[in-house]
Order: sequence, then structure tokens, then C-alpha cells
Amino acid sequence: MRFTLLDRVTAIDPGKSITAIKTLTLSEEYLADHFPRFPVMPGVLMLESMTQAAAWTIRLGEDFAHAIVVLRSAKNVKYGDFVEPGKVLTVTAEVLSQDETTTKVKATGTVGGRTSLTARLTLERYNLADRVAHGDALDARVRTEMRKLWAVLHPAGRGAGAVRPLVYGAAVGGASSPLPGAAYRQGAIDPSGDVAPLAGR
Amino acid sequence: MPSRDEIFEKVKTALVDALGVDDDEVTSNATMVGDLGAESIDFLDIVFRLEKSFGIKIPRGELFPEDVLSSTEFVTNGKVNAAGMAALKARMPFYDLTKFEQNPSVQNFPNMLTVEDMVRYVQSKVGG
Amino acid sequence: MRWFWIDRFDEFVRGRHAVAVKNVSLAEEHLHDHFPGAALMPNSLIVEGMAQTAGLLVADAIDYNRRVVLAKVAAAEFHFDAVPGDTLRFKAEILDLKPAGSLTKVSSTVDDRLQGEAELFFAHLEPGEGVPKLFEPDELLKWLDQMHIYDIGRDESGQPLQRPDW
Repeated sequence: MRFTLLDRVTAIDPGKSITAIKTLTLSEEYLADHFPRFPVMPGVLMLESMTQAAAWTIRLGEDFAHAIVVLRSAKNVKYGDFVEPGKVLTVTAEVLSQDETTTKVKATGTVGGRTSLTARLTLERYNLADRVAHGDALDARVRTEMRKLWAVLHPAGRGAGAVRPLVYGAAVGGASSPLPGAAYRQGAIDPSGDVAPLAGR
Repeated sequence: MPSRDEIFEKVKTALVDALGVDDDEVTSNATMVGDLGAESIDFLDIVFRLEKSFGIKIPRGELFPEDVLSSTEFVTNGKVNAAGMAALKARMPFYDLTKFEQNPSVQNFPNMLTVEDMVRYVQSKVGG
Repeated sequence: MRWFWIDRFDEFVRGRHAVAVKNVSLAEEHLHDHFPGAALMPNSLIVEGMAQTAGLLVADAIDYNRRVVLAKVAAAEFHFDAVPGDTLRFKAEILDLKPAGSLTKVSSTVDDRLQGEAELFFAHLEPGEGVPKLFEPDELLKWLDQMHIYDIGRDESGQPLQRPDW
């Protein structure tokens, strides 16, 4: 399967916080194994959803300066509820502090308004250019792919030039709302990113 | 026999490890659930760590009286009744139950436990 | 993607410790997204390999009488990223075990270099504690057979484990 453990980003304050959703469907193959009689989202994939959400706000906060953003440590990842097929997991990550290479994050996951997991994570960001030969070319490729994926994950970015870097405010027609995804659903923003009511067109 | 401060430091370490909180969050008055975010699963983790750290055995129900709180004999309409309160006091002299007595709703019990209650519990076990 | 994050057990001593291995291969689809052209084994999935190693050790220790689920990652830390061609070796030990739960410690190494460490806490749930049956007996046994537990497993006294007759 693809390794995109988020379906849509619904709010972002680049470099600071992010909210995203992951819908769980029985068409995901691993649910046949986890577990055969009780398909539920594996806890470590919830951890991955939180990690990916945190990575996006980190990438957006520095305009994709680092190609690689990975989980370096996790503390107290607690699972409360099971996430079953048909449910939507909403993950929120909030940056607590950041230094030159690492970012500390507090993350939560909710299902139907109930907290189903909480965690404190540390992510590391780096460029392959600093570690391997020809790393700069690899970094460039990863960055390009990440920008494309970001445009898919974030509705305000769809159709607005897939690999164009998104600039907040500009992308939502100068509005300062940190919730372009939510605004889009309410009809305030069309998929191109222009401000225009969808109704009446 | 360890001093109260030595016990507090080891309890603090157990809570930092089990709950992922920072050192300075673990104060005597901090409540386990409200301030430190402990959930039911964490209490068993805390039991493991206290047992190891102090070389004690903590039988089920001693730190957290789930049997009393779920007994029809001791609970009436979701509140711990007089017999239940007497049972809790007899079983858990190390807890300060004065606040709980004002509103002895079963779901309030975990909310009133503090770090100091944990320290007093350990003191009762190690004879400090 | 299927949900098998260890390939087999190399050591399995009932109630004590277990060693399992996991090869990282570019044939695994997720590595092409994480990251495109620069495959790194996601550490979240390494936690799962650790959890499968430790979880089966725990479930065997309580004779599969309760449903063992990962309830908490108390701490996990990773020192470098594993790449295709690496063999991860997970070593799990039971730190403490009670009827209701267990605390385990697991390390991950690549060529004897410490790649990661984790403390994993499992809840052991009984029927009626909100979790239906996870496996039919034969589904579970198929996995245990695939993991070679009854080929290499030993009890505390060194005797081979008896393959259950479910």
C-alpha cells in the first residue's frame, strides 16, 4: 500500500500546529491481519499519522528546507479507544520547541470528539546532502515529490499548480484564516484557492 | 528506612517515566488524573515501576480500590455509601479522603488522588 | 500492505526473552513513499516489529488466555534509520507481568549496531472488556507456525515448546 497515513489536512499554522484526518476503510489490506476477527487501525499507524502530520507543519514552516523528516523518539504514546473501519481519526500536532535538527511535538488523536490517543514526539529533519554522495540530487527529488503530495493533501492547494510552494494568506486569497480546508467545505473557497462562494455557480 | 524526600524522588521518577511528564510537573499537590493525565492503563504501569523501584509488592486493588468502587454493597446510585467510605478508610489510611467525602461520586475517586497520596502509600509499604 | 513486521523468530524462551528478525526490502511498497527515491524504514513500523516480538512472547507466557493489545509506548528512541538491505534484529524481554498487563523492553539492532530501543506496555484483556475475539484459533496458529515458534521455542527449563492442539 501507499504510505500516506493522512487523507486531508484541515488546518495548519506552518511550523506551529496542524490538524488532519485519517479515514479508516476495510479496503486497507493490513486490516485482514490486524486482526482477522476484529479489524482496527494498528496503534503504530496512528503513531505514523501523528508523525506525518507533525512532519507537514515542520516542512511548511521552513518551506521544505529539509528533505527528510522522521520520527526520532516517542514518549508516552497512549491508546484509549480502538479506531474501526468507517471511523475518522482526527490528529492534531502542536510544536512545543524546535532546534537546528529536532522538533518536539505534542500530539493527540480523537474519534468522534473522544480522545483516542496522546503522545509526545521528537522528529529529526535532515538533508541527504549532508550524509551521502549525490545527496543533493536525492533531496531535490524528495522535495519535489513532497510538494506534490502536499498539494493533494491540502484542498486549498489542489488545482493551484501542484508543485508551486504554497504561501499562506496568498493561497486563500489574502484571508488569514488558518483553516482553509474547513472554509473550503463551507463553500468559502473553491479548489483553485480563490475566494468565491461555491453556491450559485 | 528511606526518608519522605527520598521516597518522593523515586515516586517522581516512576511518574515521569510512566506518564511522560516533565520533572517540574510532578509536585506534591499535583493530581494524578487532572494534572498529570494518568489514565487507568497508567496505574498498572505505575504499579510496575513502584514495585521495582522500592522492591515492594502491590496487590491488585491496594493502590486503586476498583473492587470497592464497583461493589453494589459499597456503592449506591453511583456514589460511595457510608459502608464503602468506611471500607476505603480502613483499606487506604494513606489517602486523604476529606475532599472525596464531599462528593463521593465513584468517578471522582481517580480525580482526587495526588502525588502526595502515592508517596504516603509507598511510606506505608516501606514502613517510612 | 500486509501486517507482518517480523519474518521469523530466532530465539524464543517462554516467559523470558525472544529474538526476531525482519529484513528491510525494496519490494515493500511503503518504502517507495518513505521517501521517494530515498527509502528509509519508518520507525513507527519498527515499533510494530518490536511489539509483535514482545506481544507474542507475552501472549505465549499467559497461554493465549487473554487478548494482548499494545496499550502504551512508554518510550521509544531511534538512533539511525534502517535502509533496504538491512536486517533488523529485535530482542524483547519481559520486565514485569501481571494478569492484567505487562511491561516489556525491546531493542533493535542492525549488524550489532543499536538502532532503537523501546519500552512497550501491553494490556491483557478478558472477554467482556470491550474487545471481541481477535483471531480464530487456527488463524493464530498459522501465524505462530509461520514465525517458527514451535521449531525453535523452549520453555524455562530448556525443553521444546509443545505445539498447541487447537
